[in-house]
Amino acid sequence: MATQYEIPVGAQHIALLEPLHFKFSTENEKIIDTTANVGYVHRGIELACCSKFKFRQVSFVVGRVCGLCSISHTTAYSQVAEKLLNLDIPIRAKYLRMLVIELDRIHSHLLCLSHVAENSGFEALFMKTMQYREFSMELLEAVCGNRIQYDFSIVGGVARDLKPAVANSILERLNHFKPQLNELVDIYENNWTLSLKNKGIGILTKEEAMRLNVVGPFARAAGLAVDVRDETEDLLPWKAVGYEMVTDTTGDVFARNMVRLREISVSMKIIENVINGLPESPLLIETKAFPEGEAVVRLEAPRGELMYYAKGNKTQVLERLKIKAPTFSNIPAMAETFKGNEYASAPAIIASYDPCLSCTAR
Amino acid sequence: MKTFFKAIGNLAKKPITTKYPFEPTFIPDDYRGLIGFNADLCIWCRRCEMACPPGAIVFSQAMDGQQTYHYNRAVCIYCSECVRSCPKEGAIFQTAQPAPCALKAENINNGWNKLFAESLESRNIYAAEKKRLTALKAAEAKAAKPSADSSEKSS
Amino acid sequence: MKKIETSLDNLQTDIGEFYKPNRHHFMVMNAVDLGVDNMELQWFFCDYVHPCEVTVFSAQTSPKVTIPSIKKIVASAWVAEAELVDLMNINIDGAQKGFVLEPDFESGPLRKNK
Repeated sequence: MATQYEIPVGAQHIALLEPLHFKFSTENEKIIDTTANVGYVHRGIELACCSKFKFRQVSFVVGRVCGLCSISHTTAYSQVAEKLLNLDIPIRAKYLRMLVIELDRIHSHLLCLSHVAENSGFEALFMKTMQYREFSMELLEAVCGNRIQYDFSIVGGVARDLKPAVANSILERLNHFKPQLNELVDIYENNWTLSLKNKGIGILTKEEAMRLNVVGPFARAAGLAVDVRDETEDLLPWKAVGYEMVTDTTGDVFARNMVRLREISVSMKIIENVINGLPESPLLIETKAFPEGEAVVRLEAPRGELMYYAKGNKTQVLERLKIKAPTFSNIPAMAETFKGNEYASAPAIIASYDPCLSCTAR
Repeated sequence: MKTFFKAIGNLAKKPITTKYPFEPTFIPDDYRGLIGFNADLCIWCRRCEMACPPGAIVFSQAMDGQQTYHYNRAVCIYCSECVRSCPKEGAIFQTAQPAPCALKAENINNGWNKLFAESLESRNIYAAEKKRLTALKAAEAKAAKPSADSSEKSS
Repeated sequence: MKKIETSLDNLQTDIGEFYKPNRHHFMVMNAVDLGVDNMELQWFFCDYVHPCEVTVFSAQTSPKVTIPSIKKIVASAWVAEAELVDLMNINIDGAQKGFVLEPDFESGPLRKNK
């Protein structure tokens, strides 16, 4: 006879990177139902952006919503403010924004992969992936001035220029990283003990992915070919710098790892194309107008589709700002993928889903 | 098995961690460091104070009209919005010097809140005093005018 | 951004006719406080085709009315509705308080009449 348990994986847990709360109802060891609770890091950012800060200062506030995808938030807000002001930014600023977005994607995917390895029990691979990730943090410090909070995109363009010495060091270190990436792909794909923990665990089918509206690598690993970089060409020219869509079919933890590793190599190609084809133009465009009207902007953060909605009323302070984080869209699917799996795989599934609670409960 | 032998081989290599702060770490020459100020070039327009997102710059005003610049390195986010908004080049600039740690004796949080409130208050007091003096002068000028007219009429 | 005006009574029929799971993607639900006793609710959808178009269903109502839920049409809408119930202090059919804020917190911090 099966015994029913209610197990909380609480806000404080040794396997969690983010303060997320799940309550599992299990029968012996298999999970049958889940309830979720977010909101442990709610800081009232939407209210602060509409009352205390002027619209030019909001790009700095919004960059501090999340530490891992900071550039995605500042760029998306800058784009929505530029739409409200009817500005068209110079082409060099667009290319530099794409460069930092792709560098950020590399470091974020390597962090997620190392966390999946750690939760599957493979500590040595966790340490190795973190060692290989260090070069991207140093490159981001050389380009933006800081390892985490970049403050790079501002309303009207970008804040700093790319010096030729820094551009050469980026190309050199990417060449140094290529054999290291091949080594990581080899281990994540072929290691037998890791596959026992990752293959066939946490499966999400393509029909379920469409029904539950999932985004990001979570959806692409299930076969749903949805990526904002493929859909929006008007704000940043992704296809011109060699963007390609990466999908997989099985939808389990193993497929998500493979999708992230292949996206890292696509990002490296985009960075090389951007640096080799960087056009000359000013960096910033000035205006004295105030924002008015409504606008919506979507951007591909490392975890999926990020959406910003802003409404201005011709004053210095915005009337309404709404942020939709990618993890917010993935929560219902998350609760569904747990069903039918064993309780011991729950940390690996949570890590492969790559939650970012700071974005979700701003 | 390959990974197992690689892990054993790692025992013979030296660690890759940098023992910061005992070893130096990499600081580029355009590092986002402390904000510097040149009082001789400043035109006291206060645009840097209006542009600063966290409110790390404030100007206080004495009764003779002279303004003083105050800056808090713990509140500052080193974004250089103040440098971009300044109309006079060189009055405010960003150095490449990392900010030193704050000690308890400096009282850098509560002391700054008090200083900020006092600076805004000093500007309000100066503006109110200037308005009162201007109104007084205008009233005196108006009182002097009819007596000049009447002395002209009598002579 | 294509804006379609609707009302609370026609909401479920309008969205039910529009939404196809293999073609549309529900993004989020939003509420804008327009002032005294008036609120604009927005439902954002986007396409899986290229170029992608954002469709917004918008309804103006008083915040005291109970708003119908679209959970039966769009399975993943419960998250967006639970967040708005907490932050804007509105009533949505079937949504519980306590998802983003604490359940006993004085609700509605994003409302303007404070």
